[in-house]
Amino acid sequence: MIGERSILDSLGSGLIVLDAEERVAFLNRTIADMLHASPEYWTGRPATDLLAAMGHYALPVAAPRFDWPDEFGSREIEWRDAETLRYFREDSSPLAGKSGRVLAYHDISHEKAVDRMKSEFISVASHELRTPMTSIKGSVDLILSGFAGETSPEMQELLEIAQKSCDRLVRLVNDILDLSKIESGQLKLNLERIDLTDIAVRAICSVKPLADKTEVRLRVDRPTALPIIDADPDRIEQAITNLLSNAVKFSPPQAEVVVELSSDGSWVQCAVRDHGVGIAEKDLHRIFGKFQQLSEGRRRGGTGLGLAITRGLVDEHRGSIWVESRVGEGSRFVFRLPIVSPHAPNPPALAGQSTQ
Amino acid sequence: MVEDDADIQKVIRMSLKMKGVSEIVVVDSGTECIEKLGGFTPDVILLDIMMPHVDGYETCRRLKENPATRPIPVVFLTARVQKADRDRGMKLGAAGYLNKPFDPMTLHDQIVAVLTRHESGEKRLPSLKK
Repeated sequence: MIGERSILDSLGSGLIVLDAEERVAFLNRTIADMLHASPEYWTGRPATDLLAAMGHYALPVAAPRFDWPDEFGSREIEWRDAETLRYFREDSSPLAGKSGRVLAYHDISHEKAVDRMKSEFISVASHELRTPMTSIKGSVDLILSGFAGETSPEMQELLEIAQKSCDRLVRLVNDILDLSKIESGQLKLNLERIDLTDIAVRAICSVKPLADKTEVRLRVDRPTALPIIDADPDRIEQAITNLLSNAVKFSPPQAEVVVELSSDGSWVQCAVRDHGVGIAEKDLHRIFGKFQQLSEGRRRGGTGLGLAITRGLVDEHRGSIWVESRVGEGSRFVFRLPIVSPHAPNPPALAGQSTQ
Repeated sequence: MVEDDADIQKVIRMSLKMKGVSEIVVVDSGTECIEKLGGFTPDVILLDIMMPHVDGYETCRRLKENPATRPIPVVFLTARVQKADRDRGMKLGAAGYLNKPFDPMTLHDQIVAVLTRHESGEKRLPSLKK
């Protein structure tokens, strides 16, 4: 008969079980070796001692996205031991009947390295693509300006196609670069104390030229004052601009697009409402995915990445985003940002502190 | 103009020529830029970043280190569009930072705007403004 302990010790992943009194009920060989002590040494000790010991090695890479300890949650941590740096995914799940908690540690160093290489590749590729795009766009724009002499109407039309496609290619490269940074966790937020109203107004100004083309009216609907939040103004402006330009693109001429701002005390909310074509219910679930634009969006020159980026930016701020829509009636894209700072500490499982 | 891509050199040259800028000295490396500056003082240096050997950042650092070339405004014109790249360039003392691809119809105006902002406290404005 093979003992449970030997099975669990043979796991490649580290395993810790805490009991309801927050003491170490079990710790497998893998995690004990990482801590340079025997499993027996730790068994029965307070979880706070173990977490403090782990705190010497482990640092959360990103804030956990769960309310510890009652829910299942997952996050990444860095594990520094002498010269080596490894990455782990920490999964935390409650035991049945809240009789304790299981923490599992999976080594994801290899995946992280691959991710980093992928993101570096995209970054270099995007820089390299810009050089020929600069020459193409520059040449076409100059010819179209009449600088190089007159062009026939047919030439003019063809060059305008080239110009439009080149601009789209630039947007695509920009979006791919942004998304790659978000997905690899390399996006750094520059948090400031901001009033979402100011940011919404800035976004409206940048979308106005697009709206003017089809005489779409842009309006802000807001309370007298919104709570100030900690957020990256440029990134939030980018998120609102993405939603607004989508709303404008899908609105009929002379329609109205409204930015509704509100707050409920713990959140500030921004909703962009249009009276456009709307989204079928069957498509709603994939609308925030990469390259999931509906055929209408492709026709209107979108890159298919705007909503994926917007969701990523909102997620980075620990916010949430969703869409309400009906075909023929329009759409309402809504995101909420917490009033507490995205960098405020969550109860950490590994920072060597006791739980709240 | 410090730019190692011959096609982009032509586009920049034509774009500025269209706005009446006729005197443009083109070099295709940071080293050549530093050597050339012994002989004359341009109104502005348009500086690419991704160049072999001595890149734009290093070129700018050396220009700003030398009291003789320090006052010449440097405007980066580069495919490195990320905020960290821009911050790095501006920290080196650049007057401005413009992205590629650029709009050849407004490049001149953008350079002038950058210089005006940068030199708003100074008396001497480059002849490029005329």
